[in-house]
Amino acid sequence: MNGDPIEDGSSDFERRTRALLLQSADELPGAVRSRLTQARYAAVAAPAARGSSLALRWLPAGAAAAAMMALLVMYVPLGKSTMENPVTNAGFEDIEMLTDTDAVPLSGDQEVDYDFYEWAAAEAGDGGAAPSVGS
Amino acid sequence: MAAFASLEYQTVALIPPGKAHLRDSTQDAARALDAFLASVERKAFRIAQIALRHEADALDVVQDAMMQLSSRYGSRPAAEWKPLFYRILENRIRDVQRRRSVRGRVMSYLPWRNDDDEDIADPIEQAADHSPQPPAQLEADEAMKVLEQAITALPERQRQAFLLRNFEGLDVAETAASMKCSQGSVKTHYFRAVQALRSKLGDFRT
Repeated sequence: MNGDPIEDGSSDFERRTRALLLQSADELPGAVRSRLTQARYAAVAAPAARGSSLALRWLPAGAAAAAMMALLVMYVPLGKSTMENPVTNAGFEDIEMLTDTDAVPLSGDQEVDYDFYEWAAAEAGDGGAAPSVGS
Repeated sequence: MAAFASLEYQTVALIPPGKAHLRDSTQDAARALDAFLASVERKAFRIAQIALRHEADALDVVQDAMMQLSSRYGSRPAAEWKPLFYRILENRIRDVQRRRSVRGRVMSYLPWRNDDDEDIADPIEQAADHSPQPPAQLEADEAMKVLEQAITALPERQRQAFLLRNFEGLDVAETAASMKCSQGSVKTHYFRAVQALRSKLGDFRT
Protein backbone atom coordinates (compact mmCIF):
# COMPACT_ATOMS: atom_id res chain seq x y z
CA MET A 1 0.00 0.00 0.00
CA ASN A 2 1.64 3.20 -1.11
CA GLY A 3 -1.27 5.46 -0.19
CA ASP A 4 -2.30 5.80 -3.80
CA PRO A 5 -5.60 3.96 -4.31
CA ILE A 6 -5.90 5.19 -7.90
CA GLU A 7 -2.65 3.63 -8.99
CA ASP A 8 -3.41 0.52 -6.96
CA GLY A 9 -6.74 0.20 -8.72
CA SER A 10 -8.24 -0.72 -5.39
CA SER A 11 -11.58 0.95 -5.99
CA ASP A 12 -13.93 0.39 -8.90
CA PHE A 13 -15.89 3.43 -7.89
CA GLU A 14 -12.83 5.66 -8.24
CA ARG A 15 -11.90 4.18 -11.60
CA ARG A 16 -15.42 4.65 -12.94
CA THR A 17 -15.62 8.25 -11.82
CA ARG A 18 -12.18 8.92 -13.26
CA ALA A 19 -13.13 7.42 -16.61
CA LEU A 20 -16.25 9.53 -16.75
CA LEU A 21 -14.37 12.74 -15.91
CA LEU A 22 -11.69 11.99 -18.50
CA GLN A 23 -14.37 11.33 -21.11
CA SER A 24 -15.98 14.69 -20.37
CA ALA A 25 -12.60 16.40 -20.80
CA ASP A 26 -12.03 14.64 -24.13
CA GLU A 27 -15.44 15.67 -25.42
CA LEU A 28 -15.23 19.39 -24.81
CA PRO A 29 -16.97 21.56 -27.40
CA GLY A 30 -14.85 22.88 -30.25
CA ALA A 31 -15.25 26.50 -29.14
CA VAL A 32 -13.85 25.71 -25.71
CA ARG A 33 -10.94 23.74 -27.16
CA SER A 34 -10.19 26.63 -29.47
CA ARG A 35 -10.16 29.13 -26.58
CA LEU A 36 -7.87 26.87 -24.57
CA THR A 37 -5.47 26.58 -27.50
CA GLN A 38 -5.39 30.36 -27.92
CA ALA A 39 -4.75 30.80 -24.20
CA ARG A 40 -1.89 28.30 -24.39
CA TYR A 41 -0.26 30.07 -27.33
CA ALA A 42 -0.56 33.40 -25.52
CA ALA A 43 1.02 31.93 -22.40
CA VAL A 44 3.94 30.38 -24.30
CA ALA A 45 4.55 33.69 -26.08
CA ALA A 46 4.28 35.74 -22.87
CA PRO A 47 7.95 35.55 -21.73
CA ALA A 48 9.20 36.63 -25.16
CA ALA A 49 6.70 39.46 -25.37
CA ARG A 50 7.64 40.56 -21.87
CA GLY A 51 11.32 40.71 -22.78
CA SER A 52 10.75 42.71 -25.94
CA SER A 53 8.40 45.15 -24.24
CA LEU A 54 10.74 45.84 -21.34
CA ALA A 55 12.31 48.83 -23.07
CA LEU A 56 8.89 50.15 -24.10
CA ARG A 57 7.65 49.77 -20.55
CA TRP A 58 10.47 51.96 -19.18
CA LEU A 59 10.13 54.54 -21.95
CA PRO A 60 7.57 56.81 -20.16
CA ALA A 61 9.62 56.82 -16.95
CA GLY A 62 12.76 57.72 -18.89
CA ALA A 63 10.98 60.54 -20.72
CA ALA A 64 9.66 61.96 -17.46
CA ALA A 65 13.13 61.85 -15.88
CA ALA A 66 14.63 63.64 -18.91
CA ALA A 67 11.97 66.36 -18.74
CA MET A 68 12.68 66.92 -15.04
CA MET A 69 16.38 67.18 -15.77
CA ALA A 70 15.76 69.75 -18.52
CA LEU A 71 13.64 71.84 -16.16
CA LEU A 72 16.35 71.79 -13.50
CA VAL A 73 19.00 72.85 -16.02
CA MET A 74 16.83 75.75 -17.21
CA TYR A 75 16.02 77.12 -13.77
CA VAL A 76 19.38 76.59 -12.06
CA PRO A 77 22.17 78.18 -14.18
CA LEU A 78 25.20 75.96 -14.52
CA GLY A 79 28.41 77.15 -12.79
CA LYS A 80 26.63 79.19 -10.12
CA SER A 81 25.74 77.89 -6.77
CA THR A 82 22.34 78.54 -5.32
CA MET A 83 23.96 80.68 -2.57
CA GLU A 84 25.02 83.27 -5.17
CA ASN A 85 21.64 83.54 -6.79
CA PRO A 86 20.03 86.84 -5.61
CA VAL A 87 16.59 85.66 -6.54
CA THR A 88 16.76 82.45 -4.56
CA ASN A 89 18.43 84.17 -1.57
CA ALA A 90 16.11 87.17 -1.39
CA GLY A 91 13.68 85.40 0.83
CA PHE A 92 16.27 84.63 3.48
CA GLU A 93 17.53 88.29 3.58
CA ASP A 94 14.01 89.62 3.97
CA ILE A 95 13.34 87.27 6.85
CA GLU A 96 16.59 88.31 8.57
CA MET A 97 15.69 92.01 8.34
CA LEU A 98 12.17 91.56 9.54
CA THR A 99 13.18 89.47 12.51
CA ASP A 100 16.13 91.71 13.55
CA THR A 101 14.92 93.67 16.59
CA ASP A 102 17.95 96.01 16.54
CA ALA A 103 17.39 97.27 13.02
CA VAL A 104 16.06 100.76 12.22
CA PRO A 105 12.32 100.57 11.62
CA LEU A 106 11.56 100.92 7.91
CA SER A 107 7.98 101.93 8.35
CA GLY A 108 6.01 103.92 10.91
CA ASP A 109 7.16 107.42 9.97
CA GLN A 110 5.04 108.80 12.75
CA GLU A 111 7.64 107.53 15.21
CA VAL A 112 10.51 109.58 13.62
CA ASP A 113 11.10 112.90 15.35
CA TYR A 114 11.87 115.12 12.34
CA ASP A 115 11.97 118.26 14.56
CA PHE A 116 14.86 116.80 16.47
CA TYR A 117 16.85 116.09 13.30
CA GLU A 118 16.22 119.63 11.94
CA TRP A 119 17.28 121.19 15.26
CA ALA A 120 20.39 119.04 15.41
CA ALA A 121 21.32 120.02 11.84
CA ALA A 122 20.83 123.71 12.60
CA GLU A 123 22.93 123.42 15.76
CA ALA A 124 25.71 121.82 13.85
CA GLY A 125 25.47 124.45 11.04
CA ASP A 126 25.56 127.77 12.88
CA GLY A 127 27.57 126.75 15.92
CA GLY A 128 25.00 127.02 18.65
CA ALA A 129 22.59 129.63 17.19
CA ALA A 130 18.93 129.36 18.03
CA PRO A 131 17.16 126.78 15.98
CA SER A 132 15.03 128.20 13.15
CA VAL A 133 12.29 125.61 13.27
CA GLY A 134 9.95 124.99 16.13
CA SER A 135 11.54 127.54 18.36
CA MET B 1 1.24 23.65 -35.11
CA ALA B 2 1.52 26.58 -37.50
CA ALA B 3 0.58 28.96 -34.71
CA PHE B 4 3.10 27.38 -32.37
CA ALA B 5 5.78 27.72 -35.03
CA SER B 6 4.92 31.40 -35.30
CA LEU B 7 5.22 31.89 -31.53
CA GLU B 8 8.47 30.02 -31.50
CA TYR B 9 9.73 32.34 -34.21
CA GLN B 10 8.73 35.40 -32.16
CA THR B 11 10.59 34.05 -29.16
CA VAL B 12 13.69 33.06 -31.04
CA ALA B 13 13.81 36.28 -33.08
CA LEU B 14 14.87 38.19 -29.95
CA ILE B 15 18.07 36.18 -29.59
CA PRO B 16 21.21 37.48 -31.36
CA PRO B 17 22.41 35.31 -34.26
CA GLY B 18 25.70 34.46 -32.52
CA LYS B 19 23.97 32.88 -29.53
CA ALA B 20 22.83 29.64 -31.13
CA HIS B 21 22.94 27.66 -27.88
CA LEU B 22 20.55 30.16 -26.25
CA ARG B 23 18.26 29.92 -29.24
CA ASP B 24 18.14 26.13 -28.98
CA SER B 25 17.46 26.18 -25.25
CA THR B 26 14.72 28.79 -25.66
CA GLN B 27 13.09 26.71 -28.36
CA ASP B 28 13.25 23.64 -26.14
CA ALA B 29 11.78 25.54 -23.18
CA ALA B 30 8.92 26.91 -25.32
CA ARG B 31 8.21 23.45 -26.70
CA ALA B 32 8.26 21.89 -23.22
CA LEU B 33 5.92 24.55 -21.83
CA ASP B 34 3.55 24.18 -24.76
CA ALA B 35 3.48 20.40 -24.36
CA PHE B 36 2.87 20.69 -20.64
CA LEU B 37 0.02 23.18 -21.01
CA ALA B 38 -1.52 21.07 -23.77
CA SER B 39 -1.46 18.07 -21.44
CA VAL B 40 -3.31 19.83 -18.62
CA GLU B 41 -5.54 22.41 -20.29
CA ARG B 42 -8.68 20.29 -20.71
CA LYS B 43 -8.58 18.77 -17.26
CA ALA B 44 -7.83 22.18 -15.77
CA PHE B 45 -10.83 23.61 -17.58
CA ARG B 46 -13.11 20.85 -16.30
CA ILE B 47 -11.83 21.31 -12.75
CA ALA B 48 -12.51 25.05 -12.96
CA GLN B 49 -15.88 24.49 -14.61
CA ILE B 50 -17.02 22.06 -11.93
CA ALA B 51 -15.89 24.46 -9.18
CA LEU B 52 -17.32 27.62 -10.73
CA ARG B 53 -20.25 26.19 -12.73
CA HIS B 54 -19.61 28.83 -15.39
CA GLU B 55 -17.88 28.20 -18.71
CA ALA B 56 -16.56 31.72 -19.37
CA ASP B 57 -15.23 32.12 -15.83
CA ALA B 58 -13.57 28.72 -16.08
CA LEU B 59 -11.86 29.69 -19.33
CA ASP B 60 -10.64 32.96 -17.80
CA VAL B 61 -9.28 31.17 -14.76
CA VAL B 62 -7.39 28.61 -16.86
CA GLN B 63 -5.98 31.35 -19.06
CA ASP B 64 -4.80 33.32 -16.02
CA ALA B 65 -3.16 30.23 -14.57
CA MET B 66 -1.36 29.50 -17.83
CA MET B 67 -0.09 33.07 -18.12
CA GLN B 68 1.09 33.17 -14.54
CA LEU B 69 2.86 29.83 -14.77
CA SER B 70 4.60 30.89 -17.96
CA SER B 71 5.65 34.34 -16.80
CA ARG B 72 6.60 33.52 -13.21
CA TYR B 73 7.60 29.89 -13.15
CA GLY B 74 8.45 29.12 -16.77
CA SER B 75 12.14 28.99 -15.91
CA ARG B 76 11.61 26.45 -13.11
CA PRO B 77 12.24 22.74 -13.77
CA ALA B 78 9.43 21.14 -15.74
CA ALA B 79 8.86 18.59 -12.97
CA GLU B 80 7.61 21.41 -10.72
CA TRP B 81 5.15 22.82 -13.21
CA LYS B 82 2.18 20.58 -12.49
CA PRO B 83 1.82 21.25 -8.73
CA LEU B 84 2.56 24.93 -9.34
CA PHE B 85 -0.01 25.17 -12.12
CA TYR B 86 -2.75 23.57 -10.06
CA ARG B 87 -1.90 25.69 -7.05
CA ILE B 88 -2.28 28.82 -9.21
CA LEU B 89 -5.49 27.43 -10.68
CA GLU B 90 -7.01 26.76 -7.25
CA ASN B 91 -6.03 30.27 -6.12
CA ARG B 92 -7.70 31.81 -9.17
CA ILE B 93 -10.83 29.70 -8.59
CA ARG B 94 -10.95 30.91 -4.98
CA ASP B 95 -10.53 34.52 -6.14
CA VAL B 96 -13.52 34.22 -8.46
CA GLN B 97 -15.62 32.58 -5.76
CA ARG B 98 -14.76 35.37 -3.29
CA ARG B 99 -15.50 38.05 -5.86
CA ARG B 100 -18.87 36.47 -6.52
CA SER B 101 -19.59 36.28 -2.81
CA VAL B 102 -18.79 39.99 -2.31
CA ARG B 103 -20.75 40.98 -5.40
CA GLY B 104 -23.69 38.92 -4.20
CA ARG B 105 -23.68 40.65 -0.82
CA VAL B 106 -23.45 44.11 -2.38
CA MET B 107 -26.14 43.39 -4.94
CA SER B 108 -28.50 42.11 -2.26
CA TYR B 109 -28.54 45.62 -0.74
CA LEU B 110 -29.41 47.35 -4.01
CA PRO B 111 -33.17 47.90 -4.38
CA TRP B 112 -33.04 48.34 -8.17
CA ARG B 113 -31.10 45.16 -8.90
CA ASN B 114 -32.47 43.03 -11.65
CA ASP B 115 -31.61 39.37 -11.47
CA ASP B 116 -32.50 38.95 -15.11
CA ASP B 117 -29.50 41.06 -16.10
CA GLU B 118 -27.04 38.37 -15.10
CA ASP B 119 -26.01 35.67 -17.46
CA ILE B 120 -28.56 36.18 -20.18
CA ALA B 121 -28.37 32.89 -21.98
CA ASP B 122 -28.09 32.63 -25.72
CA PRO B 123 -31.48 31.23 -26.87
CA ILE B 124 -29.80 29.27 -29.65
CA GLU B 125 -27.44 27.60 -27.21
CA GLN B 126 -30.32 26.90 -24.87
CA ALA B 127 -32.46 25.28 -27.52
CA ALA B 128 -32.95 21.57 -27.02
CA ASP B 129 -30.94 19.32 -29.29
CA HIS B 130 -33.42 17.00 -30.97
CA SER B 131 -30.88 15.12 -33.03
CA PRO B 132 -30.85 11.44 -32.20
CA GLN B 133 -28.05 10.39 -29.84
CA PRO B 134 -26.89 6.89 -29.10
CA PRO B 135 -28.29 5.55 -25.82
CA ALA B 136 -24.80 4.98 -24.43
CA GLN B 137 -23.94 8.64 -24.93
CA LEU B 138 -27.16 9.74 -23.27
CA GLU B 139 -26.42 7.50 -20.31
CA ALA B 140 -22.87 8.85 -20.04
CA ASP B 141 -24.12 12.43 -20.22
CA GLU B 142 -26.66 11.77 -17.51
CA ALA B 143 -24.11 10.01 -15.32
CA MET B 144 -21.66 12.88 -15.76
CA LYS B 145 -24.34 15.35 -14.81
CA VAL B 146 -25.11 13.46 -11.61
CA LEU B 147 -21.43 13.03 -10.76
CA GLU B 148 -20.72 16.71 -11.41
CA GLN B 149 -23.53 17.78 -9.10
CA ALA B 150 -22.25 15.49 -6.38
CA ILE B 151 -18.67 16.79 -6.73
CA THR B 152 -19.89 20.38 -6.68
CA ALA B 153 -21.72 19.69 -3.42
CA LEU B 154 -18.50 18.53 -1.70
CA PRO B 155 -16.66 20.86 0.70
CA GLU B 156 -13.96 22.83 -1.10
CA ARG B 157 -10.93 20.91 0.21
CA GLN B 158 -12.55 17.54 -0.47
CA ARG B 159 -13.44 18.65 -4.00
CA GLN B 160 -9.86 19.79 -4.61
CA ALA B 161 -8.36 16.58 -3.25
CA PHE B 162 -10.74 14.39 -5.24
CA LEU B 163 -10.27 16.16 -8.57
CA LEU B 164 -6.50 16.53 -8.28
CA ARG B 165 -5.97 12.94 -7.16
CA ASN B 166 -8.65 11.09 -9.06
CA PHE B 167 -9.12 13.17 -12.22
CA GLU B 168 -5.72 14.80 -12.78
CA GLY B 169 -3.85 11.85 -11.32
CA LEU B 170 -1.47 13.79 -9.09
CA ASP B 171 0.22 11.69 -6.43
CA VAL B 172 -0.19 12.50 -2.75
CA ALA B 173 2.93 14.68 -2.57
CA GLU B 174 1.98 16.69 -5.67
CA THR B 175 -1.57 17.12 -4.43
CA ALA B 176 -0.26 18.32 -1.06
CA ALA B 177 1.98 20.86 -2.82
CA SER B 178 -0.96 22.06 -4.93
CA MET B 179 -3.27 22.37 -1.95
CA LYS B 180 -0.60 23.81 0.37
CA CYS B 181 -1.29 21.24 3.06
CA SER B 182 0.28 18.09 4.48
CA GLN B 183 0.13 14.71 2.77
CA GLY B 184 -1.89 13.42 5.70
CA SER B 185 -4.52 16.10 5.10
CA VAL B 186 -4.68 15.16 1.43
CA LYS B 187 -5.36 11.52 2.33
CA THR B 188 -8.04 12.54 4.80
CA HIS B 189 -9.78 14.94 2.41
CA TYR B 190 -9.63 12.43 -0.41
CA PHE B 191 -10.95 9.56 1.71
CA ARG B 192 -13.84 11.68 2.95
CA ALA B 193 -14.63 12.87 -0.58
CA VAL B 194 -14.81 9.30 -1.89
CA GLN B 195 -16.98 8.27 1.05
CA ALA B 196 -19.35 11.19 0.50
CA LEU B 197 -19.64 10.56 -3.23
CA ARG B 198 -20.16 6.85 -2.76
CA SER B 199 -22.89 7.39 -0.20
CA LYS B 200 -24.61 9.82 -2.56
CA LEU B 201 -24.16 7.93 -5.83
CA GLY B 202 -24.18 4.32 -4.67
CA ASP B 203 -22.30 1.92 -6.90
CA PHE B 204 -22.54 4.41 -9.76
CA ARG B 205 -22.72 1.94 -12.62
CA THR B 206 -22.32 3.84 -15.88
